[in-house]
Amino acid sequence: MNYDTIVIGAGIAGMLAAIGRAEAGERVLSLSKGHGATHWAAGCLDLFDIGAGDPLAEIESLIAVHPDHPYALVGVDAVQAGAGRLRAACEAGGYPLVGSLRRNLQMPTAVGALRTTCLVPATMAAGDARQLPRSGDGSGPLLIAGFHELRDFFPPLVAANLCALGFAAEGVYLQVPPTERTLDFGTVSFARLFDRPTFRADVGRQLRQLVQRGRYSRIGMPAVLGLDNATQVVSDLQAAAGALIFEIPTLPASVPGMRLYRALETALQRVGGRIQIGAFVRHAEGRGNRLEAIYSEAAAREQRHAAARYVLATGGIAGGGVRADHAGNLVETALGLPLRTPNARADWFAARFLNETGHPVFRTGVAADASLRPLDAAGQVIYENVAVAGSALAGCDPIREGALEGIAAATGWKAGQL
Amino acid sequence: MDHIEFSLTQSLDHCIKCNVCTSACPVAAVTDKFPGPKYVGPQAQRFRHAGQPVPDNSVDYCSGCRVCNEVCPTGVKIVELNARARAQIVAERGMPLRNRIIARAGVVGRLSCGPHAPLVNAGLSIPPLRWVIEQIMQIHRAAPLPSASSYTFRSWFKKHQPPVGARKQVVYYHGCSTQYYEPHVGKAAVAVLERNGYEVIIPTQGCCGLPLLSNGDFAAAKGRHMYNVESLLPYVRRGIPVVGTSTSCTLTLKEEAPELLGLHNQDVRAVAAGTYDIFEFLRNLYDAGDLDTNFRPIQRELPYHPPCQLRAHRIGMPVLDILGLVPGLRLNESHAACCGIAGTYGLKKEKYQIGMDVGAKLFAFVQAANSDLALCDSETCRWQISHGTGVATKHPIEILAQAYGL
Repeated sequence: MNYDTIVIGAGIAGMLAAIGRAEAGERVLSLSKGHGATHWAAGCLDLFDIGAGDPLAEIESLIAVHPDHPYALVGVDAVQAGAGRLRAACEAGGYPLVGSLRRNLQMPTAVGALRTTCLVPATMAAGDARQLPRSGDGSGPLLIAGFHELRDFFPPLVAANLCALGFAAEGVYLQVPPTERTLDFGTVSFARLFDRPTFRADVGRQLRQLVQRGRYSRIGMPAVLGLDNATQVVSDLQAAAGALIFEIPTLPASVPGMRLYRALETALQRVGGRIQIGAFVRHAEGRGNRLEAIYSEAAAREQRHAAARYVLATGGIAGGGVRADHAGNLVETALGLPLRTPNARADWFAARFLNETGHPVFRTGVAADASLRPLDAAGQVIYENVAVAGSALAGCDPIREGALEGIAAATGWKAGQL
Repeated sequence: MDHIEFSLTQSLDHCIKCNVCTSACPVAAVTDKFPGPKYVGPQAQRFRHAGQPVPDNSVDYCSGCRVCNEVCPTGVKIVELNARARAQIVAERGMPLRNRIIARAGVVGRLSCGPHAPLVNAGLSIPPLRWVIEQIMQIHRAAPLPSASSYTFRSWFKKHQPPVGARKQVVYYHGCSTQYYEPHVGKAAVAVLERNGYEVIIPTQGCCGLPLLSNGDFAAAKGRHMYNVESLLPYVRRGIPVVGTSTSCTLTLKEEAPELLGLHNQDVRAVAAGTYDIFEFLRNLYDAGDLDTNFRPIQRELPYHPPCQLRAHRIGMPVLDILGLVPGLRLNESHAACCGIAGTYGLKKEKYQIGMDVGAKLFAFVQAANSDLALCDSETCRWQISHGTGVATKHPIEILAQAYGL
């Protein structure tokens, strides 16, 4: 079957590219190895980590000095448009993102530190650090509430660390309401339970009693407050508790990340895009400067896919788009494109593990021109019908820069418009 | 240990414990009895050693639907680890009588099919009798058992007049369900293949062995697989493709049997590489410009469930690709993970309700479609969908035959 565009990778970058092309009327196929990027991350949009400042202004300055950075390749307009398209997809799913590209937010984490991000789902909005009660300011303290049964979320730890930052916070464990589930509780099993009105009504009653006793004005809870209908779940809990409620991201599987993926999946399906998960693209076939076909792993033999154009959005080292082999070579896993990378293995890492400027190896990626076409070492376009988006691009260290979703949204959106 | 074997047994080291599999697992979503693919797969595997007792039985509640493999971002072969772990339990403790029987789909089919089939079918629809069967056999009284056919597919094919002048040949692997329960699926497949200029060859063949694999009887499954390899090999060697209408049979020939049983010799590989799901085969014809696309319009909108055993082929949605060429026909994809039956899983007394709970999302989708017909490639899934919804089901090849006016 011939497609107009095949997108490899189903994170934010790949999905926005696929949506853009499908909205333009193209026949689009999205191939991905599995679920990944979205399910691993906090489900927020990190634009640029400069603390509580203006990330867009910072990106404007960055573009002036780092012309190779993905933000510079696509420009500030694409940053705004990409973030806007992501917001629209979430909004359409009844799961709005809030915040401004002109002002970063600082949000409590599951260890009670503050993390910089830019856009957050409305279910997290009340956790904005500027609004949290500080010790001695006279308002009721912040309550962090969780469950013993949910691993890796410890309310007393979260509260203690927030107190160390000057906030007034207390941690408490709630009782899991009666349910047929007794053995194992993960983030997703809790989220499914919160989707049930009776379950959240019971939790709401427990919260109300706590609020009446402790004068809490805000309650932070692990980000497991519903999978299908989180906005409603949070609203019901607030009404029952009589206090503002916000979600705090957890370890994977990330429920807010899954909601984000679902919103993007729905948006793509709505415009007729086809999604094939479990399709690990392993190599490519080119002719001259055109990519002719790609091959994905399948039972008994590979599957061949052909399209007029392709988008590579497989991620960087963390996402699996870049791998190191045993001989110390870094390879781009899907199309075998050359990578811009440190020269020798000895240059991959800085001497200190927690190095201030990060490790050079994490800047590995595919060099691209302003149309996101992949470039070789001499700066020549390798395939004129390929666009590279997201963390697969060279010239950035998206996690370290606090720009993971911002780069994905900006370059993914751009790849969808080319 | 060759590299395929190595990649399977060592794949657990690729697990980064992200829980994506568990969050997508349709069984863990509805029952506590299955703690999820991550625990019983890559984690428990570290505690399983030959010659030592198996530490935990919960792996038996894995339905083998392969959704975990589909979503795993790091390529861990979770289902294969689980299936082998179950086989280890069976090897240690033996197999219950019930599993011995339902794992032998061919034998059960042969006994039920024939002129006496109406009697068998009537008997199996008597509630007290089903209650007795449940008591003795542990097969749930409500589980969707198929209706046996009064004639076998092969007996029909023997009398079938092939078209003259076919220049190409294809082998049809009908499997047990077409042979004993749904000969009409095979008739449609033969008609479609002949319409496209093929002489259809039907060599001797046995059960693909999947029910034995999923119930943990690897020794018997190996016998079945080698029998089929021997029978199909001469055709494959001559470049004649093998196509099947049962997605689970073709997946077993392609991958499940070779991987689970560690059979990687040349003959096994040749048969695997020469086997195709029928719509995959038709899509290849289309891509080569060889598919007859002279379809009559069918003005219908139908719900379609791509079964997990089809998705496990990792070939996309060939049914949507091919039936999408029929003017007027619109298929709506279910986007449901699994129907819950998983071959023989949902028939079992202790697992029936889990299967129904797993299928609930799909049943709701089919019912909301307000259609008197739903399509699905896999036979046990069709029976489960009809059982869960009361809506009739067909193999997509039957609709394609209709579009050809056959």
